Amino acid sequence: MQKSVKNPSALRHLNKLRWVTLTVIFLMLVLLPFIHLYQTFVASHAYDLLLPYEKVIYNAMEWLTSPFVSDPEHDLDAIKGTTWSGSLFGLKLSDPLSVISQVSGSLSLYWPFILTGLIPVVVTVLLGRVFCGWICPATFIYELNDTLAAWMRRAGVPLGDKVYDKRLKYLVLFAGLILSMLLGSIVTAAIYPPAIIGRELYYAVAQGAFGSGAVFFILTILFDLLVARRGFCRYLCPGGALYSLLGRYRLLRIQRVVEDCNDCKKCNVVCEFGLDPLQDGFGQECNNCTACIAVCPTDALVFKLQIHDQPYRGPGHLGHAYRNQQAGGES
Amino acid sequence: MKRRRFIQTVGAYAALAAAASLPYGVARLLSPAAYAAEHEHIPLPGALGDPEEFARACIGCGLCGEVCPPRCVEFKQREGGGHVNTPYINPAKKACILCNKCMEVCPTDALTVIPVRDVNMGIAQIDRAACYPWVDEGICGACVVVCPLGDKAIHFTFANIYKPAVLDGCVGCGQCVEVCPEPSLPIRIVHRSEGTIAKHGVAARRRSY
Repeated sequence: MQKSVKNPSALRHLNKLRWVTLTVIFLMLVLLPFIHLYQTFVASHAYDLLLPYEKVIYNAMEWLTSPFVSDPEHDLDAIKGTTWSGSLFGLKLSDPLSVISQVSGSLSLYWPFILTGLIPVVVTVLLGRVFCGWICPATFIYELNDTLAAWMRRAGVPLGDKVYDKRLKYLVLFAGLILSMLLGSIVTAAIYPPAIIGRELYYAVAQGAFGSGAVFFILTILFDLLVARRGFCRYLCPGGALYSLLGRYRLLRIQRVVEDCNDCKKCNVVCEFGLDPLQDGFGQECNNCTACIAVCPTDALVFKLQIHDQPYRGPGHLGHAYRNQQAGGES
Repeated sequence: MKRRRFIQTVGAYAALAAAASLPYGVARLLSPAAYAAEHEHIPLPGALGDPEEFARACIGCGLCGEVCPPRCVEFKQREGGGHVNTPYINPAKKACILCNKCMEVCPTDALTVIPVRDVNMGIAQIDRAACYPWVDEGICGACVVVCPLGDKAIHFTFANIYKPAVLDGCVGCGQCVEVCPEPSLPIRIVHRSEGTIAKHGVAARRRSY
């Protein structure tokens, strides 16, 4: 207790940094379609023929991007795409799920595409399922939705909090690969929320209307709100399943320091993925989002470099259970 | 008893498979197939030849649309059926300018960089019963003037009588379709096997598809 008051751990602020990252990436996905519109307006060399609302977009984007680029038509191509697949300053990056779905759908290996998934795979193997917690634009909306659900529960609205088997998502991943092969199209792209969000924001801004993916995404939000907390990510998301498998032997793990733990259970309540940090139950589905570190009052959760979780080390030494146990042992 | 146990096992596995396929089924039900006119949904430049093969290779990331300077790339929704989110071009709305940007940015082998002359998006087909000069209703020549490939792709049949005829060099970019002033679109992009002159009557009904 004394330690946390006098010298709070800097790791607590990682959750704020995560929120900044999530917000920036989501806003970027909103901004990119407008930047594309601006590029097409520049390419057409006809400012006077634009509609009034198009002139507003043109002026706003010119004001926003002119400090950074001299030739907007070509220089703004530096950042394109979504988290599903995109290019950053000439470096092409793709979601590992898109890579294995494409391999399974086309039944061929196209190496220039497979190599675009290499960096995300290496990052996931080292750091775990960080895409889900730190980058995914759907997480941004799902966590806000979860906050809303918490408020509604506090106000007395009865919301569902069902628990299913988390292994279902591995089956969904497997079914997606099989269906891609059988149906001849990449079916995982249609249900994977980060892919849907990037795509639908582009459709809405640059093509004039949302597509059917937006309806599916709203259904997943309702599922999360009314049936199971963070239900889609926990039980159904095929990308989450793939990242969990890749991050099974991750190097960087959040672990509990049993000497500092006081059994307050805040970590279990705050965990979006329904894990059990209180009893050292992290496993492959922890995405190192640091939400539990941020709420821990005694700084008992720290990052450690090891490829296996520590076994359960008993109740926290600052809690009643441990104290009673000790007293019972002495007497 | 053995048979009942077998049926129970099979039923349990079938229920698991159904539960795992449920999200895909919901996503598919949200976009039931709608009719798509072929000449309004032509492939992108550099696309894999077979549309089925293209749908197998395309991951639906939308990068081709995000780099297109004339913003001509659109994405299939209900008209795509199972091929939802794959790109197409509607040349009557906005036509391709053959700038190669989509081929360069595509991460997969769905679009690959090829020379302009090898692009095969189809071929322009002229309906001689609707085109202004061919029915002797006026002078036009807009399609010939706008063609980016010059006299390799489309020319006047005889000097200065304004009747356009498509040649084999046409790659099907659709600039002529976008510029055509006749509302019934006497020129459209069709599959290469259908020829450059629209057929009517008995000949039209004998078309292969």
